[in-house]
Formats: sequence, structure tokens, C-alpha cells
Amino acid sequence: MKRETFRKSLGVRHVACGSCNGCEHEMNALSNAFYDITQDGYDIVASPRHADIVTVTGPMTPAMRAAARETLDAVPRPRIVVAIGDCAAGEGPWSGAPSAGPGAGIELQATITVRGCPPTPEEIRAALKSLPLSS
Amino acid sequence: MNGVHAIAAERFADRVEAECLTALPLGAYARAEEVRYLFLAASGPYALAHPREAEAPLRAVSGTFPLFSWDEREMAQEWGVRFDALPDARPLRGTAGEMPPAIVAQGAGLMRFVVGPVHAGINEPGRFTFSSGGETIVHLDAQLSYAHRGVERHVEGLGALQAAPLVARICGSCSAARSFAYARALEQLAGIELAREVELARLVLAEFERIYNHLGDLAASAAGAGWGPGFASGMALKERAIRLCRLAGGHRLLFDAIVPGGVGAQTLRERPRIARELADLARDIEAYLTRLFAQSSTVARWQRAGVVSRESAHAFGAVGPAHRASRGEIDVRTFAPYGAYREFAVRIAHASGGDSFGRLRVKRDEIRESLRLIGAALAEIGDAALPDPQPMAVPAGDATAVVEGPRGSEVVALHTGGDGILTRLHVISASYRNWPLVARAMDGNIVPDFPLVNKSFNLCYACADR
Repeated sequence: MKRETFRKSLGVRHVACGSCNGCEHEMNALSNAFYDITQDGYDIVASPRHADIVTVTGPMTPAMRAAARETLDAVPRPRIVVAIGDCAAGEGPWSGAPSAGPGAGIELQATITVRGCPPTPEEIRAALKSLPLSS
Repeated sequence: MNGVHAIAAERFADRVEAECLTALPLGAYARAEEVRYLFLAASGPYALAHPREAEAPLRAVSGTFPLFSWDEREMAQEWGVRFDALPDARPLRGTAGEMPPAIVAQGAGLMRFVVGPVHAGINEPGRFTFSSGGETIVHLDAQLSYAHRGVERHVEGLGALQAAPLVARICGSCSAARSFAYARALEQLAGIELAREVELARLVLAEFERIYNHLGDLAASAAGAGWGPGFASGMALKERAIRLCRLAGGHRLLFDAIVPGGVGAQTLRERPRIARELADLARDIEAYLTRLFAQSSTVARWQRAGVVSRESAHAFGAVGPAHRASRGEIDVRTFAPYGAYREFAVRIAHASGGDSFGRLRVKRDEIRESLRLIGAALAEIGDAALPDPQPMAVPAGDATAVVEGPRGSEVVALHTGGDGILTRLHVISASYRNWPLVARAMDGNIVPDFPLVNKSFNLCYACADR
């Protein structure tokens, strides 16, 4: 029998892994009065302990690698990693730069990826709502 | 003074220090052949240069003017420039994932704690090591570079025109200002002039970027002082400003809106709608600014928090609102006017207290002035068609351009070889210039004021780290 793993209340923790801040502007916009994802049951949380979803951005720089991994390890299971933006997908403008990694979403094995440079708040919200939340 | 002036090693630091007293120091960078210290005079940017073939160590200027501390550390780490008497000899950036040790205060009763690189909100990464005695901050070491991607090395070898979309994506918060400076540097090198309408359109785009940034800063500073409605209203206005950016420039954060030779194809297409929505937004912004600055409990938290003296602002080379809130006089738009700023008398915002309140008051007044400038520029453009970007051949050479971004002077220095190939690109962002000052602004402040003092600057990490 299918069971709802996540119930109408999802904590989202964000980790920037060398992004340009463009994706962060759009992630922050999700909380403004125009998008207000709290109405859809999403809450941007301060602690990874409170998170169900981890959004990641950026190409993954060497400096962020350990911190991103530790943050992810602090998130209880089940959890979902969502890659936001072309950099996290490994196909952004800095792909191949000397201190750019494979993409935060590639390295942290994101379940879904929202493409765009940056993706719009509508696109991010639609992706969050499309997540497979049942196990 | 214009151009590049070669100075012998033994006199170099003295000359740089003397220049700091008469012109606006912008920063310094190295390449294989030379080091350059950049300044801005009313006639434009210029450089004092020292050829590196002798490889005699240079006396570090940061011993006298700490504003060059990050530049000199970066030159030493990334380009092997040797300095005598570098006051802070740590590498600027982490290597292989390891950050250099933080500087901490030692003493009885002092404690230290580290915040970052992952922060509680949706923020860029940085590590802040606080030393405090109880609530009072004794020292703060702000270490960045977590977003260092190696963008300058990455664009080397690319065609200067082909690199423009990459330059627009070094930092999401000041993309239009950086693209503006990059385009101006290339146009200067190619020796082309743009149509008046195009310069006016660039002014509109640059001022929209200032408005959405400053609105976000005011909103975040209201949140930092604990006033939720001020945050919610401000962020809603920021969203409306960003939607106007999309309408005016084809991209919510104005990526690729300013391109070498002109402006993007999406620029100012629906002018009646832009004018209508701008008028609505301006009215609601004014109501918000009035309400925000009348909220006495919020304003009281901003006052006397994070004070930067005029002397500190000068020694650390503060730029932008951080400079003008500490009795600084310079705004690049009027000090060394460029493009359409040559034909408008921009009213420069000032404050004298050097505190968070002063910085936010400057930003408030700059929003008002940006709205006025956009209205005036749109009226001048009228129904005129905007031409396609002007084709240009980029010759071998070098050029530096400076524009006033939301956070202050945005500098792009570039060198090209044959076929318009970039051989060196260096970006000195207003955030890079101001970051060391944020840490010093916290000395003697209480820990809970860090968020609001930090947000009164609201600097970027991505363009500082590159």
C-alpha cells in the first residue's frame, strides 16, 4: 500500500554552492506575496534538521564541497535534493572553469533539476510541486 | 591624468599612496607582465603600473591603505607577486577546499564562534568568525571565496564579444552594471560611439537594477530589525521592480540586457506599458519609503549600528552608498560621467552618520532619484527606435571602464590580443571593495546587530569571489 511520505508540510533548506546569486534571488522570491509557497505547504527552514527538501545551486566549488556534504548529511531521511539552475545541472556558464565542479545537482545526486539561468520563481514552484512525494 | 604610467619599483608604493590622496583608488591587479593600481579621476580611470621583469619585491601599500589588502593578497596568491611587509600575509582564498585560519582576538573572557559558510537564509556562502566579549563584538573576520569559480581564467582565450554573456553571469545582483562596464571598455578599445537613444536605454536599465537591489536591501534591513510588514511589503515591491526589469530589458535580473555595442533586442519594447507600471510602482514605493522611515522602532535599531567613520571609509576605500553615508562625495555618475549620465544632473544622495541608518537613507534617496532618472530618460527616448548592437572589431590593447552600480564603483579591466581574444580580464566589484569594511563596521557592536548592519551594506559574494 502506498503511504504518503511527506504530508502537506515540507521544509526546504537551501545551499548555495558557488552560484552567482541569481538563483538565490529567485528562490527568495518564492516567499514574496506574489508566489508565497507557504500556501502550498512549503516552508523555507533555517536548519537542515527541519528540512525535507534541499535545494542546491551553483557549479559546486572545491571550497563548498565539504560544507554542502555536511549540510546534506544533517538532513533526516527521507529527503529530496533539487538542483536549481543551469550551473547546478552542470551546464551553466562556468562549466569547465578552473574552480567549478560538475554541478551541485550532479555531485549531490539531485532527484530533479530545474533548468534556467536562473529559472523563474514559477518554474521553481512548479518543479517543487511536481516532486514525487510518495514512496 | 589618463592612461598607464610606469613607475620604478623603489618609488612605486610611495606614488600609489600619494595618488590615494588625490584620486579615487579603485584597486589593483596583476598579470604576467606587470602589476597595475587603478584610480579614477574626473577625466576617467588611469593606472600606475610596475613591470614585473625585475621581480624585486614591492612594498605593500595595504600597510598604509588597508583598502588594497585583498588586492595584494590576491596578487600574491594567484599571480606570485612578491610583497614586502604585507600586513595580512594569508592567502585570500581557500585552496583545495581549506580556508586559511581566521584571525581571532585573544584574551580573558573572550569567546569566538563561526557562522557559515552555509547560512540560515537563502544566502551566498561566506565564513564569519566572531570574537566577542559577551554580546560585544571585539573582532570579526569575514572570509569569502566559497563562490570562487575562476571566472577570470576561464574567459582568457575567448573572443571578447563571445565572453559578454559570461561576464553578465559573474554575479546575478549587479549583472547590468558589470555588462555596462564591460561593454564600455570594449567600445573604448574599438573606438565606437553609441546612438543617444542607446545610451539613454542603458541608463534606464542600470537604474532599474539599482531600484530592485535597494528595495531588497531596505526590506532585508527591516527584517533585520524585526519588522515583518516592512520586509513583506519591500519584497513585494522588489518583485514588481524585477518584473519591470523583465519588461524593460527582457530578463528579470537584466542578464544580457546591456551588450557590447548597444542593448539587447528585448530592450524597451512595450514603452507605454513600462511607463504605466513604472508610475504605479513609483507611487507605491513612495508610500512604502514613507511608512518604513516613520517606523520609529525599526529606524532606532538602524541608528548608530555599524558606524563607519569618514576616516575608515577612506582608508578602506569604501565605495557607493557605504562611501556616501560616511560623508563621501563620490558617485561615478557625476564624478566621471559616462554615457547618458553626461546629460542629466544626477542628484547624489548623502548621509553623515556612517551608520546603517545613513546607508539605508542613501539607498532610499537613490531609489527616488533612479525613478526620476528613468522617467526623464524614457521621455527623452520617446518613440525612437533602438538600433541593433553596433558591430565592432576589437583590436589588441587594453581598456578599463568604471560605472556606478547599486553598491558602488564596478570596474572592468581587460586586455586583448590579436583577433579580439581576451588575454586578461579583471573585475573589481563594489562588494570586493567594501567587504573588509563590513567586518570593521562591527567592531564594538552587539552580535544581534550583525544581520541588520550586514544588510545595510548587502554586498554580493559572487562578484567578490569570481
